[in-house]
Amino acid sequence: MKRIKRSAVCADNSFTTQSRSRGAWRMLLFFAALMVLLALSMLLGPSGIGIPDMESPSGSAILSLRFSRLLMGMMTGAALSASGVVFQALLRNPLAEPYVLGVSGGAGLGATLTILVGTGVLASFSLPVVAFLSAVVTLMVVYGIASQGSSGQPSVYSLILSGVIVSSICSSIIMFLVSTASVEGMHNVIWWMLGSLQPVSAGQQLLSAALLFGALAGIWILSPRLNALALGREMAHYQGLHADLVIVIGLLFATLLAAIAVSLSGMIGFVGLIVPHVMRAIFGPDHRKLVPLAALGGGVFLVVCDAVARTLLAPVEIPVGVVTALAGGPFFLIILQRRMKQAWIA
Amino acid sequence: MQQDAMTFKDVSAGYKQRKVLDNVSFTVREGEFVSLIGPNGCGKSTLLKTAAALLKPLSGRVELFGQDVQHIKPALRASLLGVVPQKIESPMAFTVDQIVMNGRISSMGRWGTPSAVDHDLVERSMIYTDVLDLRERFFTELSGGEQQRVALAMVLAQDPKIIMLDESISHLDINHRQEVLQILMNLNREKQMTILLVSHDLTLSAGISDRFLLMEAGTLVKAGTPVEVLEPEVLSRVYNCDLHVQQDPYTGYLQVTGAIDSLRRRQKLNRSVHVIAGGGSGIELYRRLLIEGYEVTTGVLNRLDSDAEAARALNIPAVLEQPFSPVGSDVIAQALKMVADADAVILSQVPFGSGNLVNLTLAEAALNSGKPVFLADGIATRDYTEGKAALAFTTRLMQSGAKAWHSIPELMTHLQQHQNRSI
Repeated sequence: MKRIKRSAVCADNSFTTQSRSRGAWRMLLFFAALMVLLALSMLLGPSGIGIPDMESPSGSAILSLRFSRLLMGMMTGAALSASGVVFQALLRNPLAEPYVLGVSGGAGLGATLTILVGTGVLASFSLPVVAFLSAVVTLMVVYGIASQGSSGQPSVYSLILSGVIVSSICSSIIMFLVSTASVEGMHNVIWWMLGSLQPVSAGQQLLSAALLFGALAGIWILSPRLNALALGREMAHYQGLHADLVIVIGLLFATLLAAIAVSLSGMIGFVGLIVPHVMRAIFGPDHRKLVPLAALGGGVFLVVCDAVARTLLAPVEIPVGVVTALAGGPFFLIILQRRMKQAWIA
Repeated sequence: MQQDAMTFKDVSAGYKQRKVLDNVSFTVREGEFVSLIGPNGCGKSTLLKTAAALLKPLSGRVELFGQDVQHIKPALRASLLGVVPQKIESPMAFTVDQIVMNGRISSMGRWGTPSAVDHDLVERSMIYTDVLDLRERFFTELSGGEQQRVALAMVLAQDPKIIMLDESISHLDINHRQEVLQILMNLNREKQMTILLVSHDLTLSAGISDRFLLMEAGTLVKAGTPVEVLEPEVLSRVYNCDLHVQQDPYTGYLQVTGAIDSLRRRQKLNRSVHVIAGGGSGIELYRRLLIEGYEVTTGVLNRLDSDAEAARALNIPAVLEQPFSPVGSDVIAQALKMVADADAVILSQVPFGSGNLVNLTLAEAALNSGKPVFLADGIATRDYTEGKAALAFTTRLMQSGAKAWHSIPELMTHLQQHQNRSI
């Protein structure tokens, strides 16, 4: 075991340039695979496999429907995955993601309230905003509970513990709201909660896209600082960063991303956890590369999962969250076993 | 003229509930190599954190090159002061290259793209610390010594004027320790870099430092040249153990050694002491007495008392009484027999209530038979009896010759003195 590792290390040392070009090839291969997967997902659907008949009105409608689901998937997946990258870096914990920290639960609660109370155009516009606000409040509550009794910074363990607790409180409240809601409201909420990439209104899509690009750009600007923060808040401070400020801004952006994802497509788990790990295993932990790659990878992963979800048991559609978990889980385990040494030494 | 690199002016610092640094003042001049020494928990790390503005002083002020460190912009601060922590942990698989590049983070500008200067500095500091060969390796796969050199390279890449090392070399093997120290000495000599090294190896530090700062319990007890600070009496008191300082007649190097021979001689004193304890106040006392070589007995203790458990674990004969019941006369008789067999009686910092007040009669009995009795001071604060009966009782004991003790080392000295007298 030891010997194998040593020889691998020697190889790394003597073939420096080769390993660099290997990285470039890997990147090229990755982009090619993404393109192929996106194209494939345009060919899959409950109406059959292949390009629909463009002459008929239903054919072009099907194609445009598939395309808008592709956009929904890209946005949601990118948001979840980038959010996971940031949470994992800032909390220095491989288990951190929006769900574990209660952020998604908080966003879900806000979204549920909006769906039940709000009506018409206003509701679809306010959905991402309310989801974001309630997610921020949730994060503050989680942070506040975790800070109790500790001097200064809460530990990661108390953060995750209080995150899990607050998250389950949020889902209990959602359940309560659903059970007391009118039949129509109940239907809307449950449909949304199961997680699906059914296109939302054009207005909400535009708003979400704008917020998404803003948050991604912000995180990308932060990304070199995320590298420094991976060595801990103290070390980042010594190296001349406003460490606490970077942490707060990073958490806000990551929360915004989680809220965008939840308001677009409901509760879709696993993407924010798996995709960052897989990307880190393939391309290394440098956040300047990792943030954009994870966003792309997360988007395509969700698009492919959705294509499978709507095709596999057609005409019945499987909730896409079920597919992400079923497909992602084992994949995650394989990656974990093979590349954990490089991806994340826990 | 060399200027002041780091100045502490009456700095008190600490955490929410606990003050760790108490009114510390000192100055480190530019280009000095200073070792900060003192026992574990005396506040060395807190001092470093305060110096690096990670902790805000509760009072007083810390200056780097004449500027209040609390008001220096973080990026500028990083160019003045670098800190090598005890250990850096990278949760993700960064390569050595990527880790060292973090040293440039605050000077890389908003977009975080390293310039030619950044690359040069990174490369230079990796050459300096001899980690260039490791640049493509994963940081987490390196040995402790290699990781520590990478950490030093990262801090060097900051290009700071002062470097502080927080016990960063204590856990290295002797070969790597020498190597890192050599690097530090070169930096100090060639680049006039100011070095503040937290160290546990007094001998090693004595050989390379211009000055020593000696800390004890949050205060600075001594500052000066190694010869001035490394006095056996002061060191032995601060570190609470026997230490010898010898100067090599040829090289002039100071050597600090623990007095192992005195440890060996200490076994089996053939002297016994009886300890009146309770509520956990006896545990540390039992331990120290056993280490010093005394035979120890204790009681009367409540059967469920943590001191009773400690006595059982340490194999100390103890007289026990059922919980929540008054001390019976047969039990007292047993305890009196123990006192009769003992050479001295010690009263720990035990709180008194109506239930254990009777234990004081044991001390009285010892005094009456001419045995020395040592009472922990400050009884007034631990007296929960009605009408302050315990306080009155102990005052009477003091009048008839019992001695007060404040700290365990002080108590040990009392015992020693008494023993010497009686021999």
